[in-house]
Amino acid sequence: MTLDVLSSIKGATASKVVADLFEVIKKGHVEGDTNVAHYNAVEIDDLRPDEVVESTEAERNLIINNFPKEKNGFLVVPKVVEE
Amino acid sequence: MASVIERLHQQLVSKEISCEALVQQKLDALNASEYNGSNIVLDQYALDLAKKVDTKIANGETIGLLEGIPFGVKDVYLLQGTYSSASSDFLKQYNSPYTATAIQKLLDAGAIPVAKENCDSFGHGSSTENTVFGPTKNALDINKVAGGSSGGSAVNVAKDFTAFSIGGDTGGSIRQPAGYNAIYGLKPTYGKISRFGLMAYASSTDCVGPIAKELDDIRIVLNTMAGKDVKDQTTFASDAISDQATSSVLPKGTKIGYYKNFIETEALDPKMKQQFKDMLAKLEAEGMEIVPLDFFDADILVATYYALAMAETASNLARLDGTNYGVREEGENLKEGYSITRSENFTAETQRRIVGGNQVLSQGHSEEIYNKAQALRAQISHHFDEDFKEVAIVLSPVTPSPVPNIGDIMDDPMKMYLSDAYTVGFSLGGLPTLTAPLALETGLQITAAKRNEEILFTSANFLKQVL
Repeated sequence: MTLDVLSSIKGATASKVVADLFEVIKKGHVEGDTNVAHYNAVEIDDLRPDEVVESTEAERNLIINNFPKEKNGFLVVPKVVEE
Repeated sequence: MASVIERLHQQLVSKEISCEALVQQKLDALNASEYNGSNIVLDQYALDLAKKVDTKIANGETIGLLEGIPFGVKDVYLLQGTYSSASSDFLKQYNSPYTATAIQKLLDAGAIPVAKENCDSFGHGSSTENTVFGPTKNALDINKVAGGSSGGSAVNVAKDFTAFSIGGDTGGSIRQPAGYNAIYGLKPTYGKISRFGLMAYASSTDCVGPIAKELDDIRIVLNTMAGKDVKDQTTFASDAISDQATSSVLPKGTKIGYYKNFIETEALDPKMKQQFKDMLAKLEAEGMEIVPLDFFDADILVATYYALAMAETASNLARLDGTNYGVREEGENLKEGYSITRSENFTAETQRRIVGGNQVLSQGHSEEIYNKAQALRAQISHHFDEDFKEVAIVLSPVTPSPVPNIGDIMDDPMKMYLSDAYTVGFSLGGLPTLTAPLALETGLQITAAKRNEEILFTSANFLKQVL
């Protein structure tokens, strides 16, 4: 898949400065313990309750008002075309 | 105790000034400012809160230390009912549906937000030039950059437009602008303050932190915002930092480390190199044990950080497609619409990071670049673990170079990325790091082991006395 499709940005191409950063990483030397799983990990017995929390009316109204397009009381989504 | 918050609190309690007058002073200064540090000044919002504080004082009620204190908020935090733009065209009209946990804790303590502050768009930058609101100017020299990405927050504090401000630090975005404007800025241990309601840049290193003129104010605000939050599962419970921490000094013989390769390099400005060496000599004369340490090359730190940060921001910003909020541009079909929307409403630097991130994560690259960068990050973290078994703190410059002029680094992305060379490593390690306006032109970084913020305050107090 091309970068413009991956990024949903028109005409997106690889930049030299990013390629230069990648070259540094490729040359980097890795040894020893490289396990990152425990950094920022969450304990399984410390998860929040799996329950629905109602948002406030003010929050719901702001979310609706942030919707980009509205017509006759309906929120308008972009037209989906099957390809 | 040297504290702007404490001084203003006393003025309010003694009725030397009303809260409304205090807030109005700050609003006037923000509105008249030529530094371009604020995207939105919260005039009515702040005055309404100030009136409530004045009513309490008039009724003889006790007010808390933060009650009525005006503060600034980097424009990447949600504050319900106010615009949160991330300094982007994309979200210029985005009205926050809820309030970030860290900001809510300050509101609960009675502090009053007076401005949403200019920053690099979505945190993507080191100078607060990558913003659709125009560059923020340095508080000490208007021809120079404010630093970034929390540049507006640092400048507003330095100019006394806010008593303190809340920045965000992913790879140095609090520490570097604090250094550029000669004030304090703290990136706490990753997870000490909830990220809920902070627009995500790179979620694995994003940190909320205070910027202030006085060390005690950093401590007060940190204590208010810290703590476990069920809305951010990476947070942890922590004890408050006592005021003893900012009045104590380091005992003689304390082992203070520094990274040799950060100093013995031609990349470090010669004057700053000398200033750093002079500082080490003074500390040695004070009876401290100076320990030179080996560390990774700066180019490895920068490349590792940017590869991972770009990958994470590409994923985080994928949600911005104009469907549910923000700007929506119409196209021939759904994908075309997404593409036009994102192309026209992200800045060039944000696009570069998204595209770079998608490269990192794409087939072929993910093994060679992303997984390797993660392995390097693990090594860096292990290295820190070992270093802090040997030393109490590590001192380092905040940046390798003096503050650049406006316009000098925006056209040279690699120069911009390399300006983060001394901050990104500590971000990858999730370590607490404080910028103090000491010793070097762009400040001094004090770093400690994870969850050991207390020693940062004691060290900064000690260094302030001896340098």
